[in-house]
Amino acid sequence: MSARHDPQRRRDRPAERDEERRAFREEAESLVRITAAPTIWSGHFLLCYCAVAIACAKAGAVPGWLTGGLLAASVAALAAIGWVGWRAFRQWNVTDTGDFSNPEGEAEDRHEFLGHAAFLLAIISFIGVVYVTMPLLLVEGCR
Amino acid sequence: MRLTGAATAAAAAALSLAGCAGRQSALSPGGADAAALGTLFWVMLGGAVLLWLAMNGMFFYVTRVNASAMPRRLANGMVIGGGIVLPTILLGALLGWGLSILPDQRQPDDGLTIRVHGEQWWWRVEYWPEGAAAPVVSANEIRLPVGERVGFRLDSDQVIHSFWIPSLGGKMDMFPGRETYVSLEAEAPGVYRGQCAEFCGESHAWMAFEAVAMPPDAFDAWLDAEAGAAAAPEGGAAERGAALFAREGCGACHAIRGTGHVGQVGPDLTHVGGRRSIGAGRLAATPEAFAAWITHTDSLKPGVRMPSYDHLSDADAAALAAYLAGLT
Ligand code: HEC
Ligand SMILES: [Cu+2]
Repeated sequence: MSARHDPQRRRDRPAERDEERRAFREEAESLVRITAAPTIWSGHFLLCYCAVAIACAKAGAVPGWLTGGLLAASVAALAAIGWVGWRAFRQWNVTDTGDFSNPEGEAEDRHEFLGHAAFLLAIISFIGVVYVTMPLLLVEGCR
Repeated sequence: MRLTGAATAAAAAALSLAGCAGRQSALSPGGADAAALGTLFWVMLGGAVLLWLAMNGMFFYVTRVNASAMPRRLANGMVIGGGIVLPTILLGALLGWGLSILPDQRQPDDGLTIRVHGEQWWWRVEYWPEGAAAPVVSANEIRLPVGERVGFRLDSDQVIHSFWIPSLGGKMDMFPGRETYVSLEAEAPGVYRGQCAEFCGESHAWMAFEAVAMPPDAFDAWLDAEAGAAAAPEGGAAERGAALFAREGCGACHAIRGTGHVGQVGPDLTHVGGRRSIGAGRLAATPEAFAAWITHTDSLKPGVRMPSYDHLSDADAAALAAYLAGLT
């Protein structure tokens, strides 16, 4: 355990403690942001599969309004993932630093690395949502 | 040594190519459904070979031919282009293609539906021609008219099986308590082979069937005959066989329409002598095979749900065989 986590010392230096709290909160937020895109993807996946499964089991067919609604949900999911991805891209800050790998392990590096990871996850989530949507367009009916 | 190596390779190639022809091959299609899947396979195989060559060519180039550092932009471009953009587009295109084939293989039938119920390890088969109130019951063989789309409604007894006639189309799983559907259209008359394609226990590998695609007239005549009761075979041995069938209690498990035997545990034997195989593709339907099946059931088909009648004398087995082979 480093001195930073020593409670005695924290009480001594309130300014440093606040700074630390702020930094921690920010990283906690970007941890949420990192999971946002995959969460949207899995929510969309569950929505599509459950809704179609229930429609097929109960009605034997997928009504047009349901297909339409799920397509709208796809568009919304893609837009949300796009937004998450854009923010992550900004956080990664690769265009300013030209730094792909953020290897130093400092706070700034960690911050950018989390952006990088969130950005890549947003890409794969985007592709995932597109692939999950394709059967909606190409396979009609329940068989 | 080299020469034998080359000869072995050539022989192996010839063998594996021979495996592509034949009556149980997705690569020698007997209908449009299998042809569509065959094309998909060849395109994917060709694409995979191209990609393999390209990838290894690039590996070779950057490690052996020109091992100097690459410009950063080019390297990034290759990683993003070749690692993300290209696979996304290729997989998307393949997914779209595959999904567009799916509905074709589920088209409604042109009138005839065949219900197939997977058992361990055989197939209960019911023909439902258009408007039929009751099915024509059969087992372990599928007959279908050429040039007509036939619907297959599939389910299963206890475990998951999979219904697959590779030369006619894709496979479809059979679940207990849940009906699945696939439709097939044979274009060329012929005898194809189907095989259970989902591991279902000890004798899974012996769970097969013959699939006979016939000209429509011949099919209609066959179905009429199949719907009828059994005609008692004539001749001393066959008549003794009929008596043995009753004495040995075979009718507890097997039905022969037109006799008092109504068992439902095993396959319907009303026209078993007219089938091309017995024991779900296990043996050709010859009198010798019937005798062997009855007396060596469990060694021919491990785990089979029919007792071996190994106490029967050769003469009794032959008499039973004559009776069964005569049930055409
Ligand atoms: C306990 C029930 C039972 C009894 C009794 C029984 N069988 Fe079977 N039999 C089966 C089952 C189950 C099968 C299917 C086995 C398989 O292929 O996995 C079968 C298959 C067969 C087949 C092959 C049918 C086909 O469609 O390929 C023949 C022929 C046959 N039995 C004849 C007999 C004869 C003859 C007897 C009496 C000596 C007899 N069976 C007694 C259950 C029984
Ligand atoms: Cu099986």
